[in-house]
Amino acid sequence: MGNRVNPNISKELKAFGKGDWNDCFHCGNCTAVCPLSENGFLFPRKGIRHLQLGLKDKIAAQVEPWLCYYCGECSETCPRDANPGELMMTLRRYLTAIYDWTGLSKLMYRSKGLHIAFMIFLFTSVMAAFGIFAQWNHPLNEAGLVPINSFAPAHFIEFADQILLAILSFFLLSNIFNMFMKVVVKDKTVKIPIRMYITQIPKAFWHFATQWRFSKCDHKKFYWLSHFLTMSSYIIMFTLIVVFLDWFQTEEVHPITHPQRWLGYYVTFGLVFATLYYFIGRVRRKQEIFKFSHHSDWIFIFLLFMIAVTGILIHLFRINGMPQATYLMYALHLAFEVPMVVTFVAFSKWSHLAYRPFAIYFSGLKSAARKLQTSN
Amino acid sequence: METKGLTGVFFYSPVNGKPDALDLADLATYARSLPEVGTTWDVSHLPLNDPDTIAQQIKKSEAQHIVIAGDTPGMVKSLFSRAMTAAGKDPEKVHLASFREHGISDRTQAERAKAVIACAVYGVPFDLAAQPEESSVHPDTLVIGGGIAGIQAALEIADANQKVYLLEKTGTIGGHMAMFDKTFPTLDCAACILTPKMVEVGQHPFIELMTTSEVKGVAGEPGNYKVKILKKARRVDIDACISCGQCSEKCPGTAPSEFDAGTAMRKAIYIPFPQAVPNKYLIDPESCLYVLNGKCGVCAKICPAQCINLDEQDQEVEITVGNIVVATGYQVFDATRAEQFGYGKYPNVVTSLEFERLVNAAGPTGGNITLRTQDKRGNWIFSPESDAPGRIALIHCVGSRDENHNAYCSRVCCMYSLKLAHLIKEKLPDAEVSEYYIDMRTFGKGYQEFCERIRNEGVRTIRGRTAKIEERDGQLILRSEDIEKDTLLEEPFDMAVLAVGLQARDDTPELARMLGLSLGNDGWFMEANYGSDPVNTFSGGITIAGVCQGPKDIPDSVAQGSAAASRVLQSIIRGTITQSIGELPLAGIESRARELCKRQEV
Repeated sequence: MGNRVNPNISKELKAFGKGDWNDCFHCGNCTAVCPLSENGFLFPRKGIRHLQLGLKDKIAAQVEPWLCYYCGECSETCPRDANPGELMMTLRRYLTAIYDWTGLSKLMYRSKGLHIAFMIFLFTSVMAAFGIFAQWNHPLNEAGLVPINSFAPAHFIEFADQILLAILSFFLLSNIFNMFMKVVVKDKTVKIPIRMYITQIPKAFWHFATQWRFSKCDHKKFYWLSHFLTMSSYIIMFTLIVVFLDWFQTEEVHPITHPQRWLGYYVTFGLVFATLYYFIGRVRRKQEIFKFSHHSDWIFIFLLFMIAVTGILIHLFRINGMPQATYLMYALHLAFEVPMVVTFVAFSKWSHLAYRPFAIYFSGLKSAARKLQTSN
Repeated sequence: METKGLTGVFFYSPVNGKPDALDLADLATYARSLPEVGTTWDVSHLPLNDPDTIAQQIKKSEAQHIVIAGDTPGMVKSLFSRAMTAAGKDPEKVHLASFREHGISDRTQAERAKAVIACAVYGVPFDLAAQPEESSVHPDTLVIGGGIAGIQAALEIADANQKVYLLEKTGTIGGHMAMFDKTFPTLDCAACILTPKMVEVGQHPFIELMTTSEVKGVAGEPGNYKVKILKKARRVDIDACISCGQCSEKCPGTAPSEFDAGTAMRKAIYIPFPQAVPNKYLIDPESCLYVLNGKCGVCAKICPAQCINLDEQDQEVEITVGNIVVATGYQVFDATRAEQFGYGKYPNVVTSLEFERLVNAAGPTGGNITLRTQDKRGNWIFSPESDAPGRIALIHCVGSRDENHNAYCSRVCCMYSLKLAHLIKEKLPDAEVSEYYIDMRTFGKGYQEFCERIRNEGVRTIRGRTAKIEERDGQLILRSEDIEKDTLLEEPFDMAVLAVGLQARDDTPELARMLGLSLGNDGWFMEANYGSDPVNTFSGGITIAGVCQGPKDIPDSVAQGSAAASRVLQSIIRGTITQSIGELPLAGIESRARELCKRQEV
């Protein structure tokens, strides 16, 4: 593979995050201090080198940024204050934009205005749809609760969810395919036997479910915990809404022992706790990982928080028999949820949910293949 | 010649965006207050590629002379000369007021900038108008600090038959150099170079050595400084002590030896090291049981020369000197601050200074490189009987080139680490020695060759800063990236030597305040001009030499000691000394420039 040099890549990257990577004098401290860096997949220093040299193809083919969970240790100890951790974050945004063939991701990362405008467009579309199609007047049911399914029938909403899911999956999967091409196929140094594609799946799945790698970041177990809470809450919520809405959105209120209630509370707690933690962290800017916030980070926190708050309010208004308020909250809940899903899952921050496990999968493939090559 | 209002001042200082940049409007107001100046223009925002627009400006005014004031006005001088010609004026009458040339960079130096402008208006060189006054000089000199730089300066001056007071804080002269085993790159024995000089100092009729003494206050003016000196009680009469050592043998008080960098213990009454000058005992009040709680006094009882006075008090003396040479040296970086290396936690992570003592034949193990082990009482000590380390790592840049500690390069660490690697190989040929470095800075004569030589001796050099040291099963595990081989290394070692950097002594700000010296951002003393006047300071009659001006190796320190001495001798021979630069106020420079200008015209 020839190496094409783009001398402007440093400048282009400025739109995706903040860093002084030209300050780096390559002492190797960051790579050595990183608990996740390992032979074959060394980061962050090597990425900085590629960046300084403008090797855009090498940067696009990197899997390393996805292997970093940003504990901030490298930035704290960097003798040049070059902020290698933030560079990894920036590269993750950049790679998201590179994988995305529609160009939407790049537009939203580079322009705060466009990003917000797109959010507002989706928000108003959802609200308008509810305004036009939904029935806003229904009597309370026998238990004195607001009937939810007569306002927004679960099977209908679920159907809409699934259409949305199908569209987004198409984009996300095509982006992942793009990633696969850049990371695995174009790398001619390793040849991966077909059976490895199967044997490496369990490891990737395990990491997806637990983010166990993150807990390897020394002294930063709390980061892992808050990250796990956010991620698991969101996944549970997503699954409930998209796959099991019939079961989740019921007219009767189940007793406290029912798993529907537990899951609801877990999700609510997870989202409120995590968004507040991230919000306070990003405002205080004390920890290394919160020192720089991209506009996508703020929008992300805002949407997640609003989803959680409207979710709580639906519940409260409903059991207190306030139909109009309940319906309004329901509409708002979806109006915050849709932009979140549409923009973040396939084109922005939330897509790391898919890229990370695949990165672990791809890197696992590569290192297993390399091991095989050297042993032969 | 009537010059009223005939000068025009152009300001050309493109905005550099710094908040503390010079206020050009304020400078222009000042310029217009000079009777000779008619008009001022700020042309900082013009592209300045067309002499005609400038020429029109000049024509409109009555200016016959013009001055270009700015950061580097020389860059645009030719354009202004052409503009003068185009305006029908004398193209020679363009003067420059260059801020950068006179070290002006921000608004704190506005007064100086004004003085530079005034001198340009009067067509007088700034250095001439701003030349400090001269005053007579007292022939005696004070040298503060008895390390190699101070010793060199003192000897140079004293050899010219001029009286020198050599002030030393500890009990002996010699400084850090006395602790070193060998010097790089020649591998000469450090003591063989240093001790003859120390003896010479001790015996020199023109040097008055004041050990255990420090400066308490400085008054007076250049050429005539009154220095208050605190002579701490030595409690041993230097003139009577015969250095028999009976006192030390019986003394029950102990403390870590400063000379051995804490790797060995000494008594409370001690000679710092066998070649100390003065080679007389002294009592450390912090470990002497008599001083601490009034109970002991065994040394005084057994002293055959009756020279111990345990109740001796500190004294204050005042001396008058014309010149002061500051050669206070440095302290090494406190390795406990770089927590990732576990210094202080793992017994076999040592600093380079400690290791320097370990390889020294006069050190705690008699020159055997051994591991630090626990004695019967559980103390971690270096003992000649312990095992030799099989694998030793040397880690460069500890505390240096690091924004978290000292951002500057300490300059000597690469070289002394190479030297230590050589000494290990010499004493333990089978030992595996690895050096972890960021860049190998071999900056001096013969240094690169020295580096190649050490590499050929089988020392492994790895490009990559060690990120952390952990201890597992009694072995030190170093984690580093080998940048050249593109691998992550996690290797076991028996001993790790931290190449600690140099930094300004903690008492530097205090001394700077007393002497009226300024300090750079990195804490070292500021010289008058880094390139052309490296030993002078802005205070008249005060010079700096050695590492206290900035990190340097032994040859450079010696050279600076000699350079400082030549400045001192210059003023003594001439009989006068220049007052401190910058003492002359703006009004003084302005009126002097005007006077010199008139003199030129006559």
